[in-house]
Amino acid sequence: MRRIPAALSVAALLAITTACSSLSPPGKETTAQARLTDLRPVRDGGTVTIGLKSDPDMLDPSLTTTLVARTVFTSMCEQLYDVDQNNKFVPQLAASMPKITDGGKTFTFDVRKDATFSDGARLDARAVKTSLDRHLHLRGSGRASEIDSVKKVTAVGPYTVRLSLSHPDVPLLGRLANTAGLIMSPKALKTYGAKFATHPSCVGPFRYEKRVVGDRIELAKDPLYYDADKVHLDRVIYKTITDGNIRMANIRSGDVQIGDQMGPVEVRNSMGEKGLQLLNTPSLGYMALTLNVGNAHGIDQKASPVDSPFGRDVRVREAFDLSLDRTLINKLVFQGMYEPACGPVPPGTPLSSPITCPKRDVPKAKRLLKAAGVKTPVPLELMINTTPEDSRLGQVVQAMAADAGFSVRLRPTEFATGLTRTLAGDFEARTGGWGGQPDPAGNIDSLVGTTGSNNQGKLSDPEIDRLIVEGRSTSDIAERREIYRRLTVAINKQHGVIYLYRNINYVSASQDVSGLKLSGDGLIRVKEAGYTKGSR
Amino acid sequence: MKTLRPLLTSYVSRRIGMSLVTMVLVSITVFFGVRAMPGDTAQALAGEQTSPEVLAAIRSEYGLDDNIAVQYWRYVSNAATGDFGTSARTGLPVLDSITQALPITLELAALSLLMAVVVGIGAGVMAAVRRGKPEEWLANGIALLGMSVPAFWLGIVLVLVFAIAMPVFAASGFVPFSTDPLENLRRLVLPAVVLGSGLAAVVMRQTRAAMIDAMSSDYVRTARAKGLGPAAVIGRHGLRNSLVTVITVLGLQLGHLISGAVVTEQVFVLPGFGKLTIDAVFTRDYAMVQGVVLFTSAAYILINLLVDFLYSVVDPRIRLGGSR
Repeated sequence: MRRIPAALSVAALLAITTACSSLSPPGKETTAQARLTDLRPVRDGGTVTIGLKSDPDMLDPSLTTTLVARTVFTSMCEQLYDVDQNNKFVPQLAASMPKITDGGKTFTFDVRKDATFSDGARLDARAVKTSLDRHLHLRGSGRASEIDSVKKVTAVGPYTVRLSLSHPDVPLLGRLANTAGLIMSPKALKTYGAKFATHPSCVGPFRYEKRVVGDRIELAKDPLYYDADKVHLDRVIYKTITDGNIRMANIRSGDVQIGDQMGPVEVRNSMGEKGLQLLNTPSLGYMALTLNVGNAHGIDQKASPVDSPFGRDVRVREAFDLSLDRTLINKLVFQGMYEPACGPVPPGTPLSSPITCPKRDVPKAKRLLKAAGVKTPVPLELMINTTPEDSRLGQVVQAMAADAGFSVRLRPTEFATGLTRTLAGDFEARTGGWGGQPDPAGNIDSLVGTTGSNNQGKLSDPEIDRLIVEGRSTSDIAERREIYRRLTVAINKQHGVIYLYRNINYVSASQDVSGLKLSGDGLIRVKEAGYTKGSR
Repeated sequence: MKTLRPLLTSYVSRRIGMSLVTMVLVSITVFFGVRAMPGDTAQALAGEQTSPEVLAAIRSEYGLDDNIAVQYWRYVSNAATGDFGTSARTGLPVLDSITQALPITLELAALSLLMAVVVGIGAGVMAAVRRGKPEEWLANGIALLGMSVPAFWLGIVLVLVFAIAMPVFAASGFVPFSTDPLENLRRLVLPAVVLGSGLAAVVMRQTRAAMIDAMSSDYVRTARAKGLGPAAVIGRHGLRNSLVTVITVLGLQLGHLISGAVVTEQVFVLPGFGKLTIDAVFTRDYAMVQGVVLFTSAAYILINLLVDFLYSVVDPRIRLGGSR
């Protein structure tokens, strides 16, 4: 009975601390070292439940649009290529790296000969062709634009596939190591067609069993999997728990063993807690402020300068950029748990170069505004998402920019409405993130290229466009690295996209579970995971 | 009886007719209301990384590019045959999701109601009988807390205490009663406490007030004068006469149980109707939002219809009055 008051007081304290996000600067704890795996030996059997931040959309590789669906696919649908823990591409369902010939216009690769889909169909070149053709031609396919350089897919042998491209496309390999490389069972595609998501069947360590919308997706070990000997768990359950505090509470109670995409506040609150472990990997993406420079009439229209101080004069944009302190933003908004960023290429990847973020310089910002001849304070409406994190980010940016002579008005806007307004060009500035791709082209081309489909601020610069084409058609790694360094400089010179910080993918897990692996893409792999030997 | 039968038939037909009209009005309100929400549905479904071709395909696939009247007619005619469409987000039939979620919310509501009745009436009687004593202050204080504490906060505290510090109950999830009755209760007790606490507080206060009235009435004084024991006086005379008020309050609060389940299901990750609704609204899943609201409305209308019929059976003046 004596334990009850103590438990109650601890609970009350925890409830208060979890309900009120602390803005205090970080303490001595550090997560600076990426921790991608836990290799303690595991025993066979058991079910592991993974708490997801949101409910996946369609479990159809051609139609999905969410990162969280890809997290589920890592257990049930393998792709042609994968990213290893050093962000290098490695074959997965492909048997080797592609041979790139014909001046970069032909990709040829072999596929594994020992793989079987969960419905019993064999993996071969024709199965790969069926999947890639579906990615390219299915109505509403989200993959079509990602691999639109592929003109023709040919099964040149029983296990050999050739991709004929319309133009050299070096970053294609990165897309085949992403959702576009996911291969579906031709048998299931024939049976279910566009309704594949109701009975998804692929090659993977686990096979789909059932789904309760908004609640869970259940997978069971697939005995047909080519690497089944390495799979220890009997079942994996993906459970949607949107609130971070509740996700953490479920890990503490043992109802959930692994929590995906944990927020900085929950992670900080749980650091060093007995029975829990933390894995993390830097994100391949970035978070930024996008200024509307040329999106005066909508994203599908030609860029034309926006009639505002920010649209008219790059010095005003530079002044705004200089008013911000990225390190302080990370401390105040994310408790120092993320990383300051000032470019689209994630550090630690083979094509990145060292880059030093500019320091906050308020006097210079004021001089630039004076030189631009604008009346201060310069007004700016900043559209932010309706999340507590974005609200804090907006407030910190507002306070910092005010010191340099800007008057930032925050406009919290729900996701779909914000997206519609952005695409219509009805915004001055917005906060937003990019999930990131292993190849830097995926973080740049469509986002800042003049004709890019995701160039929300309609930044248009011939130098950027020229370097984008060079980066896409050059295969030498050292040359590409230099191109993307110059691209970063060119993009930052325009101050249209102000890169602020890079997420760290945090995964909290019970100490009872080991064998988990995070790859460079931040997705959890449970293929070799299981309950730790000697645990309950 | 011969003169009453045509009146009864007319009353029943009129009420059924009115219910059907109400359902049509609900369907129109929901259908057009959802579409009046700002933001492009196709864009919301496709996300930021998309192309005009994908958007066009989504609009075509879900008929979003048709005239809105055509969309409405297609929806109601399909719904009339039991086809509530396919979730644009998950690609799964709406009806399947609803039939999976509904029993969970109904069970949660039933448990919460049971808790509210047992705790609320018990505490109310105690507060009335022990008026001016510490027990009354305690009951009043707990009732005030029950009404004031937010469900989200209470849920997290209960999880921390009873699922983490003392792991008696589960923090989340649902197991059907038919699969494992004990596990089912282990997972539903905490959500039922959260959902039922507010209602229990209301019931307690109503019971207390009604019991105080009853206990000071002449018939209770008479019962005491006749030498009846305290239990008989409180139970047979005081409580029985107070229950009419309590039952009325419970009836009025039933709707709150369903709407309150939205927050409780989020905290305890119960895949019920409330969670389904919230997820559907946030993801602009038109078909799911419409299906959920239509089902809820139909349930309310059906219950009201049954209650009205029961009234008319119990008290003929209602149907006769209604038929005039």
